Amino acid sequence: MDKIRYFISQSWLLIVASFCFGLLLAVTDAALSPRIEQNRIDKLNRLVKTLIPEAEHFKPLDEQIEIRTFRGEKEQVTVYKAVGTSGERVGWSFNAAGTGFQDTIELVVAVDSDFQKLKGFRCLSSNETPGFGDQIKSADFRAQFEGAPASELSLVTTGDREKVDSEIVAITGATISSEAVVDIINTYVTQVKEKMHKKGLVSDGK
Amino acid sequence: MANEPQISADLYKRTFTNGLWRENPVFRLLLGMCPTLAVTAAVRPALTMGLCVIFVLLCSNIVVSLMRNLLKPHLRILMFALTISTFVTIADLFLKAYQPTMSEALGPYVPLIIVNCIIICRAEACASKNVLTVSIVDALGMGAGFTLTLCVLAGVRELLSTGKVFEIQVMPDAFVPWAAMGMPVGAFVALGILLAIVNVVSKPRT
Repeated sequence: MDKIRYFISQSWLLIVASFCFGLLLAVTDAALSPRIEQNRIDKLNRLVKTLIPEAEHFKPLDEQIEIRTFRGEKEQVTVYKAVGTSGERVGWSFNAAGTGFQDTIELVVAVDSDFQKLKGFRCLSSNETPGFGDQIKSADFRAQFEGAPASELSLVTTGDREKVDSEIVAITGATISSEAVVDIINTYVTQVKEKMHKKGLVSDGK
Repeated sequence: MANEPQISADLYKRTFTNGLWRENPVFRLLLGMCPTLAVTAAVRPALTMGLCVIFVLLCSNIVVSLMRNLLKPHLRILMFALTISTFVTIADLFLKAYQPTMSEALGPYVPLIIVNCIIICRAEACASKNVLTVSIVDALGMGAGFTLTLCVLAGVRELLSTGKVFEIQVMPDAFVPWAAMGMPVGAFVALGILLAIVNVVSKPRT
């Protein structure tokens, strides 16, 4: 009994403070979490809207699509259907991620309504070398993907950037970062496309 | 506070300026090096980090000072850590809710304020031994010193790595940005040079 009394006398402040601080945190979190979640959705919508300007809203598909990443791990991808103002399908978008030069690169990729052509990508998060690898966010690198076929893309070190085709010209001094982006897009686009065809969500190329 | 010993205005002034120069947390005490090196690539994140530190420092100094007579010596570090982590989490949630872009730019460095030694140092060295008012002045002085130092370092790095300060172009167009200053190596070099300058300027006068 004395031991318990000693324990309480020593630690009552800690116990009381833990409860008070816990309560404070719970209140703050409850007050702010809807806003934080909304910020995340807004950001994604804003990015995808720049890729599919004609989209009015986005609807996630009921079923997630399972793909294999290049490390051989299974991953569930949520595909969003971009719906235009009059309710027609104007494209698809999904998040894709893979290993970059220093850290994971997270992209949001948009594809046209028949999964024939890419509409482009935007970087959600990356930690590539400033001045070199971070040029994957630059407009001229991204422009090469806008309108490129939604099938295997290849990376070349020299070529014409203006020409939009399945050849992507790497960023000078940042081959690994460029390759990472191409790999991520290839991995996700080809597999998501195949699965979507199987499910009959998009018709085979006409 | 009639029963507290009289505190002269001079002591407040000395406590405040202590943090700004004589005991500047970064230049003189070399504390908080992790955020100093990590978030000073541009002025805006550095300023945000500085304001977060001021908030946490102020709150933790107030709480610690209020309960200084109840603290058990062997449990005090635990109490400090509990107090600090609570306020850091609150600051982090607020940033995520109201400054989502900045929160992303700062990444893990806001939660890492928990282990920022400036805060625990002030709790131990000042707040747990002094009355509330002195602790508040000390927190403001130390926080302002830290923020100013971070902004100076970030100003130098942002100017040299992009030719801009606060995202406003200041260098002429002919200026070639030093990409290295935006990278971690730039942080070490710039901090080293600034520390050398401060050491020369504040050489003890005999």
